[in-house]
Amino acid sequence: MKARYFATLLASAALFSVPALAQQSGKDVYSKVCATCHATGLAGAPRYGNAADWNARAGGGVGRFYQSALQGTAKGMPAKGGHMTLSDGEVKGAVDYMLAAVKDGLKLGKAEEAAPAKAETKPEPKPEPKKAEAKPAPTPAPAPAPAQQSPVAASAPAAIAAAAAAAPSGGDVNAFNRMLKPAGKRNLPPPEDGIHDPTVDGTHALQPPLAAFGTLPKSFAGNRVNWVEALDKNKISPRADRQDPNAVPVVMDLNVVREVKGSMPDVVYPHKQHTEWLDCSNCHPAIFNPQKGSNVISMAAILLGEKCGVCHGKVAFPVSECRLCHSKKKEMPAATAQGK
Amino acid sequence: MRRRLLILFAALLAVSAVPPAAAEYADVVINRAAEKNGMRPVVFPHWFHRIRFACRVCHTELAINPRAASNIITMSDIIDGKFCGACHNNDIAWGVDRCDICHSGKRGLPSGIVGGHETSGPGRW
Ligand code: HEC
Ligand code: HEC
Ligand code: HEC
Ligand code: HEC
Ligand code: HEC
Ligand code: HEC
Ligand code: HEC
Repeated sequence: MKARYFATLLASAALFSVPALAQQSGKDVYSKVCATCHATGLAGAPRYGNAADWNARAGGGVGRFYQSALQGTAKGMPAKGGHMTLSDGEVKGAVDYMLAAVKDGLKLGKAEEAAPAKAETKPEPKPEPKKAEAKPAPTPAPAPAPAQQSPVAASAPAAIAAAAAAAPSGGDVNAFNRMLKPAGKRNLPPPEDGIHDPTVDGTHALQPPLAAFGTLPKSFAGNRVNWVEALDKNKISPRADRQDPNAVPVVMDLNVVREVKGSMPDVVYPHKQHTEWLDCSNCHPAIFNPQKGSNVISMAAILLGEKCGVCHGKVAFPVSECRLCHSKKKEMPAATAQGK
Repeated sequence: MRRRLLILFAALLAVSAVPPAAAEYADVVINRAAEKNGMRPVVFPHWFHRIRFACRVCHTELAINPRAASNIITMSDIIDGKFCGACHNNDIAWGVDRCDICHSGKRGLPSGIVGGHETSGPGRW
């Protein structure tokens, strides 16, 4: 709890509190304020160090950049990055700092401009360390107080950042899907998935998920593979024993029905589909008492990663697939529905 | 006040959570010791292994605790045939000499399950 509060302080300090005392360098302002969006290109912000992004806007010259940074733009750049306590000079310094990172590109870049349609998302080694720097900002602990002074300005970029984080990067703020992961972002090959380091040979030796999933039955969540069907139809044959490919698991076919309050269909917990993958001891007794009705299970617990949520939402199909668990329709007396 | 702090916190989370969201569902980053010892973090792909093995093989037979970052794994355990080394031994699967296939994560990633998991935190029971 305490740690979390502290983290919150740090977060707010790092993002929005800039002590108004001394004039800060462009680099400081960039890493404390602007990097939030400009490091990764949130909401379509031109990315730090990415010449193509900046070239596309270079028409108006430095003057226009100053003006946009100071007054904001309709397409998502908040005035002064949402931090009205910054002086004009500090904001301009940050613009200069960002432009300096692409100075060479701005001149040489013209040739590359021909093919920037598929702008790479990778080549910015700078932003990562920047963010790391931003966190332990040398702001004194009681920083949040000054940060409160401009609630509107401060929460605006927060909202934008949150919105932008969910938006497909590409940057149209009014893209059709804001929250739904677009098709092009699913089952990405390792070098593009954001966790593998594309500069390592090993990453390129790995199998891309889609190469393996092509022949497997589809689903709409998780790996987007229906693992139960894949197993039933012998599309995959995972070993039940490390060495013996012919070992058969101890499968138990026992359904446990759990009645659910309200209108949701009852939950049918099937032992069969689980014991094909898991041992009794993976669940009993640590997660569930092996006795019908002796376990208190709720969606809240599941969403916190307890009970069924130990696996569902992490490795097995995620919680969004309500009907797979809530599979037994209730007979609801239409006229006199009485709670339970 | 509280709400605003929450929003700020959420914004930061949202920002820092951007890259892993594109990772494959159920990939686990293991970085308790790797980076401290100069290696890139390890990325363990569940999807790849579950095509080949039932969960019980790792989580019962090999006693790998199904709770991200709870297993203390060292290379000397691995070459002694524990954890990944139970299979990555040039018998069941390629051996430990191919460091960068396991140690292929981006530097700085925290341990934990990634890939847009939809329940929060590590499993609890
Ligand atoms: C909340 C996110 C966010 C923050 C914080 C932010 N920017 Fe931006 N910035 C944007 C977006 C989005 C655009 C693209 C807007 C557009 O196309 O009009 C942008 C565009 C710009 C541009 C180019 C404008 C143009 O005319 O093409 C400059 C210069 C700029 N930002 C400077 C800054 C500076 C300096 C800071 C820090 C003081 C900062 N930004 C902080 C989101 C942000
Ligand atoms: C994926 C987790 C999981 C696995 C694996 C599992 N069970 Fe269960 N088991 C449950 C749940 C959930 C219940 C229902 C508990 C409740 O209703 O409170 C249950 C209930 C039971 C019950 C009580 C049934 C009743 O009607 O009272 C028995 C007996 C049981 N399990 C035996 C086993 C055996 C034997 C195995 C191994 C072959 C096994 N379980 C594997 C999750 C599991
Ligand atoms: C130890 C891990 C684990 C726990 C705990 C667990 N499950 Fe599962 N469950 C799995 C796995 C693995 C599958 C196979 C399908 C997959 O991976 O998507 C599965 C499959 C299922 C299926 C079959 C879906 C189908 O398409 O036929 C249902 C229903 C289900 N789980 C419900 C539950 C419920 C309800 C609970 C809690 C009472 C629960 N599970 C707890 C691991 C688990
Ligand atoms: C992994 C299986 C699983 C999935 C997926 C699932 N549920 Fe549940 N749900 C349960 C279990 C188990 C209970 C507890 C039933 C009981 O009271 O014994 C439950 C209970 C509920 C309840 C009753 C209130 C409560 O919190 O106990 C509601 C409402 C509900 N679920 C809605 C949903 C909705 C909506 C979805 C889809 C977003 C969903 N569930 C997905 C397993 C699941
Ligand atoms: C099969 C996968 C795999 C391979 C291959 C592998 N490692 Fe590891 N290694 C791991 C895992 C898992 C950990 C535990 C990481 C952690 O907890 O941070 C680890 C941890 C480490 C650590 C830190 C812990 C310790 O024991 O000191 C070092 C150093 C290391 N590996 C070096 C190497 C080197 C060098 C190679 C190649 C000769 C290699 N690894 C090959 C999986 C692997
Ligand atoms: C080849 C070995 C292997 C197989 C097969 C395997 N796992 Fe795992 N699992 C791991 C490793 C390694 C970890 C990470 C442990 C750590 O970080 O200390 C893990 C972690 C987990 C976690 C913890 C996630 C968290 O957020 O805490 C869950 C849940 C899990 N596995 C479930 C499953 C299920 C369900 C299956 C079967 C569909 C499965 N595993 C198959 C090796 C395996
Ligand atoms: C139960 C046996 C088993 C265990 C335990 C195991 N692996 Fe594997 N792993 C395999 C097999 C089999 C392959 C496929 C080998 C091949 O292609 O020759 C594989 C392949 C891989 C691959 C390459 C996937 C690809 O795209 O080709 C990685 C990465 C990997 N394992 C990492 C790990 C790590 C890290 C651990 C420990 C946390 C681990 N494995 C534990 C059996 C295992």
